[in-house]
Amino acid sequence: MPLVRSLRARVVLWVCVALIALFAATIVGLDVAFRNTANLDRRELLDARVLGLIALAEPGPPGELRLPTEAIDPRFEVANSGLYGALYDRNGRALWQSLSLLGRDFPTDELAAPGERRHLMLDVPGFPPIEAQLMGITWEFADGKTAAYTFAIGVSLEPYNDRQARFRNYLIGWFLGATLTMLLVVSGLLTFVLRPVHRLERQVREVEAGDRVKLTGNYPSELVGLADNLNMLIDTERRRLVRYRNTLDDLAHSLKTPLAAMHALLAEQRSQPGEDRTEALNRELERMDQRVSYQLRRARVSGASGLGTEPVAVAPIVEDLKQTLDKVYRDKRVVCSVTVVPGASFRGDPGDLTEILGNLMDNAYKYCAGRVRVKAVSTRERLVITVADDGKGIGDEFAAQLFQRGKRADESVPGQGIGLAVVRETVELYRGALSVGKSDLGGAELRVELSRAGVL
Amino acid sequence: MRLLLVEDDPNLNRALAAQLEQAGYVVDRAADGEEGLYLAREYPVNLAIVDLGLPKLSGVELIKQLRADGKSYPVLVLTARDRWQDKVEVLKLGADDYVVKPFNVEELLARVDALLRRASGWAQSELVCGPIVLDTRTQEVKVKGQKLELTSFEYKLLEYLMLHAGEVLSKTQITEALYSEDFERDSNVIEVFIGRLRRKLDPDDEYKPIETLRGRGYRLAVARGAPPSD
Repeated sequence: MPLVRSLRARVVLWVCVALIALFAATIVGLDVAFRNTANLDRRELLDARVLGLIALAEPGPPGELRLPTEAIDPRFEVANSGLYGALYDRNGRALWQSLSLLGRDFPTDELAAPGERRHLMLDVPGFPPIEAQLMGITWEFADGKTAAYTFAIGVSLEPYNDRQARFRNYLIGWFLGATLTMLLVVSGLLTFVLRPVHRLERQVREVEAGDRVKLTGNYPSELVGLADNLNMLIDTERRRLVRYRNTLDDLAHSLKTPLAAMHALLAEQRSQPGEDRTEALNRELERMDQRVSYQLRRARVSGASGLGTEPVAVAPIVEDLKQTLDKVYRDKRVVCSVTVVPGASFRGDPGDLTEILGNLMDNAYKYCAGRVRVKAVSTRERLVITVADDGKGIGDEFAAQLFQRGKRADESVPGQGIGLAVVRETVELYRGALSVGKSDLGGAELRVELSRAGVL
Repeated sequence: MRLLLVEDDPNLNRALAAQLEQAGYVVDRAADGEEGLYLAREYPVNLAIVDLGLPKLSGVELIKQLRADGKSYPVLVLTARDRWQDKVEVLKLGADDYVVKPFNVEELLARVDALLRRASGWAQSELVCGPIVLDTRTQEVKVKGQKLELTSFEYKLLEYLMLHAGEVLSKTQITEALYSEDFERDSNVIEVFIGRLRRKLDPDDEYKPIETLRGRGYRLAVARGAPPSD
């Protein structure tokens, strides 16, 4: 049993998971790209400011450099502006420090060797986190003397971090919005797509409750098959129910009359004990016997719908019946030839096919002079079975009675014909046809034609 | 002929047994499968009539057991199930014929008769041994075309001898096949009836149809089938 049972919940869940994964990857990617760009900007700024300071440096007191602080970058002059600068000689003595340091020392006293350029990340109390660049140069004075100096520039990371955080928040907000929108769209789409399924479910419930006869309306192609099959199932069930009800009515009707007659006969026996009424009682008993037998046999025909039924192979059933009948009619030494084309099959209940074939073959064995022939031929659509014998054949009168429309067979057919009457009804239930003819063997030939697609 | 009847409905069992006995059979009655199996193992049964829906041991199981025991005599099944699928199954199982309930007794007797005949190798209901012709359906006996008047016991004895024509039958075998348990067994009775049969079948002592094998029993000495017409 799956954890999530609703189709809608499943789709929404999976869309959520997919969107979150996609957006998380996108957010991380964009965040990294943004940070890399910011880092590059910062480096460029540091480079530019260091080179700017070097360009402004001029010899001051003999053997020393001097920096005019104005006009490089106003942020050097503003307290805690986030841009800091300093110039050291080779002994680490500060020759210049930007006003933005407010008289404090530059947050590092490290120096760079001439020609060296160093980057440091500094986190010093009293200062924001800072990235610093130290650049060591050799200054050649006009008098030919040289001296080593270190230029230091620091820039606060705070504005960058702020920008990064703002960017990240913006991204997350945007993607959350997009996810919600997507989910709404998917949910709406599902409602639209699943509408026929809900309709099907509702109609099935109505059928269950008896408020509806069958499923109606146009279903999308994916559901048409299901709806048709359900309709067929409903129809089969209903027909079966009707058949059972009719059988019960028929049974009750055909039993009550002989019962009443027997009651009357027994009462008569009590009042006039002299006469023997055994014969009359016997006749009523036989009538009941015959009708019960007939009604039960026809009621048991399953008339399977063709749904969920495997094709039933004809050959083994014919073979089994032949062996059974050979045993039962051993004294007659009947020669029974069987020709069943390979692959001949029937879509329906195997018991029903056995019943049809059993009754036909039993009749043939019973009435033949010595020869019986069973043939089964099947095409793509139909299965045709013929059972022929060399007996006296079926009288026209009996055949007419057998096929009398709208008449129950037990009323129109004498005792021996019950088997054929059951065959006729079973075949009709499968919407097939039974016909009686003359066989070239000399006797009767009964022909059953069944659709191989069952009742579909 | 000794029949085993296994049927759990007491009325049907009793009435059926009475009819079978009236037709000249010796009937052992059982009301459930286990009792049936016990009787089948205990007595020399010629045919078993078995209801399928039995308590304790089902009819199907009983037939399987009988066949597993190597009993090859005919089994006639009584069943309420009349679908062809059921019939096929029952015969596949080892039964030889079936009768669907409700049945009439004449039908059942005819089936029993036919099964017994077949088991003895007779294909027709008319048994012919030389000049003797016995019709199991009409229970008429003719010798050389002349109808013979036999008592019911004489008839059963002759039928038994003819069904087993050519075989040596001991007095015990004959007694067990023709008398029920509670009948007083006296082998002299058999001798007396054999004597009477001989006189009726062969009054002029021409062809000596029944042979006595001292200490072993009797044999119908006339070969099966009609004599060559000359």
